[in-house]
Amino acid sequence: MKEQRGMALRLFGLLNGPQTMGRGYFFWIGFLIIITVAYVAPTHLGIKPYKVNEFLVSGFLAASLSLLWGYCGILSLGQAAFFGIGGYTFGILGINMWDDNGNTHIALLSGVALPTLFAAFIGSIMFFARLKGVYIAILMLVLSLLFETFMLQTADPEVYSIGKALLGGSNGLRPASDIPNLSFGWGEAVAEFNGRRIGFYYFVLTLLIVVYLSLRILLNSSFGYLLVAVREDPDRTETFGYDVRLIQLGVFCIAAALAGLAGSLDTARINRVDPELVFGVSANIMVVIWVSVGGRKDLTAAILGAISLEWLFLWLTTTGSPEYATIVMGAILVFVMLIAPEGIFIFVGQWLGKLFSSKVGRQSEDQDTNV
Amino acid sequence: MDIFTELFGFVFQYIDAVAFLILAAAGLSIIFGMMGVINMAHGELMMIGAYVTAFSMYAGIPAPIAIILAGAGAGVAGMILERLIIRHFYKQLLSSLVVTWGISMVVSQLFLITFGPTMESLPTPFSDIKILIGGDIGFSIVGAEGFVGIQDSSGRLPKGVESFGIYRVVMFVISILLIIGLWGLLRFTEFGTRARATMDNPTMANALGISTPRIYAFTFGLGSALAGISGGLFALSASITPFFGAAFTDKAFITVVVGGGTSVISGLVASAMALGAVQTIFTNVFSVYIGFVGMIGAAFLILLLMPTGISGYLAIRKSRSK
Repeated sequence: MKEQRGMALRLFGLLNGPQTMGRGYFFWIGFLIIITVAYVAPTHLGIKPYKVNEFLVSGFLAASLSLLWGYCGILSLGQAAFFGIGGYTFGILGINMWDDNGNTHIALLSGVALPTLFAAFIGSIMFFARLKGVYIAILMLVLSLLFETFMLQTADPEVYSIGKALLGGSNGLRPASDIPNLSFGWGEAVAEFNGRRIGFYYFVLTLLIVVYLSLRILLNSSFGYLLVAVREDPDRTETFGYDVRLIQLGVFCIAAALAGLAGSLDTARINRVDPELVFGVSANIMVVIWVSVGGRKDLTAAILGAISLEWLFLWLTTTGSPEYATIVMGAILVFVMLIAPEGIFIFVGQWLGKLFSSKVGRQSEDQDTNV
Repeated sequence: MDIFTELFGFVFQYIDAVAFLILAAAGLSIIFGMMGVINMAHGELMMIGAYVTAFSMYAGIPAPIAIILAGAGAGVAGMILERLIIRHFYKQLLSSLVVTWGISMVVSQLFLITFGPTMESLPTPFSDIKILIGGDIGFSIVGAEGFVGIQDSSGRLPKGVESFGIYRVVMFVISILLIIGLWGLLRFTEFGTRARATMDNPTMANALGISTPRIYAFTFGLGSALAGISGGLFALSASITPFFGAAFTDKAFITVVVGGGTSVISGLVASAMALGAVQTIFTNVFSVYIGFVGMIGAAFLILLLMPTGISGYLAIRKSRSK
């Protein structure tokens, strides 16, 4: 009994550790308020689930790149490759297995597992060859574009079909009407989440919170410290007896799993996978924009960046035109990189932290600067 | 088709592929080799070159001058970008990737809004001169009239005769001239000496009175001008759109990464020759797509064996043998 309590306390301590911004009462009270607002938003504040569901899915993708780039210092310009692989896997397995299973357990699990395996393969080549960071960033982008080119030329249904699923070239995976919604259960008892409805919203919101809190624990565990150590000085980390390549490979796989999860959820959300939208240049650059503008070195900032920028982008496209919205996104990226290189939300967070910690004393502020 | 014709076709494709890679990557590799920055807006600088060429030629300026203007236009654009934005990111390589990517997004969209999705395409120079080879003809270079004379009544060439456009050969020659010019510029001029000194040891170069910021700006401008010239050359044989650069950037990145940053010119040439060979062989045996995949596979393999690229590997070999 006592041991269990000790364990729980330790986990709570890890939630609140120095690798993630936002500690102390003010942050957690704010956190609870935001979550409560998020839960009641569709019913009481008139937020439309079919719009915001997309933002929540982006949150996973942003967390994935933040982990990889912000914490471990490995920039991947092609993080959407894993998103796309996850999306295609979910779609193909969903189309083929829906009739037999009536649920999407296997499709969702594979949508996470396959990108992870692929990351393990590519990552072991890249990290064990000790490629320079710039090369890794470029190679990942080229890889993603390679997938796009491949998928674009798969229009021939005779050649490019997997079971009942046709890859469908530039039209995306077909038959789109057979790509299932997210559904869990056994036999007759199945809960199905339509991606445009409120059920999906609650499900993904809860999942995002669970993933967020788990990542906080992970980042404040010794593994999280190792990630930051590798980012700050790989040679010194090596001198302490750690295998830097294994750490990099590990975080690369975790990030791929998160991106794959996001891809699977997104396919289930719109019942559609389109090669240009998942593997293209703009898909990849958007992830980088969310994370750099929000703040790559903090999980919370990256997720907030994704949600708020997606919101802004949607607002700009509906009020103006997509071309102007794209220009604004690019301009925001360049501007923020010049003015607040650490990202907007980290900047704001540090300012808030100083504001509140001045009453408590200077102790926590010193930790803040380490973040 | 006899073996000679086949061989000629193969060589023709190979020099075409090598010229493509050298032209697409030249500007990028100068900037990467000298400053370690991979300029993600490289494709957009090529696009600017293509647009300058197009507008100059609409105004009646002959193609060679239009292409030189393209180089000047892109060079100026590059220097402005360097002064305004890129110079703040020299110490953070990954951030410089991201910020130049943002610039590329803004520039291509601005062109899309200003000039619309496509431009009137330009006439390809020498398009009426063809190299004919094989069959009874053997080998000959003919103009438009000669070409019509050889065709039969339904407009087909006689059996076994293949025709090749000459502009590709011109591009290959220009790419070689550019490489030689670049080498001369870095080897023999005052600017070249200063630039190489800055590349070797910026602090020491600065202490000796070389204005390193100015060298960086000029180098970035030089790389951008090369991108603009390539863009102008490609504009004569491809359709000009705001996303013109995207067709070149991925191959250009691969070429530069494989070449490595230790020795700009030899790395670029070696890398283009190696990747061009892989691409030609795979494209011939399988398909264009597999040719591209093969190129990336080869790039992975080369980087596994030589993590700092071909030029880095050569430099290590050299220093060991001393």
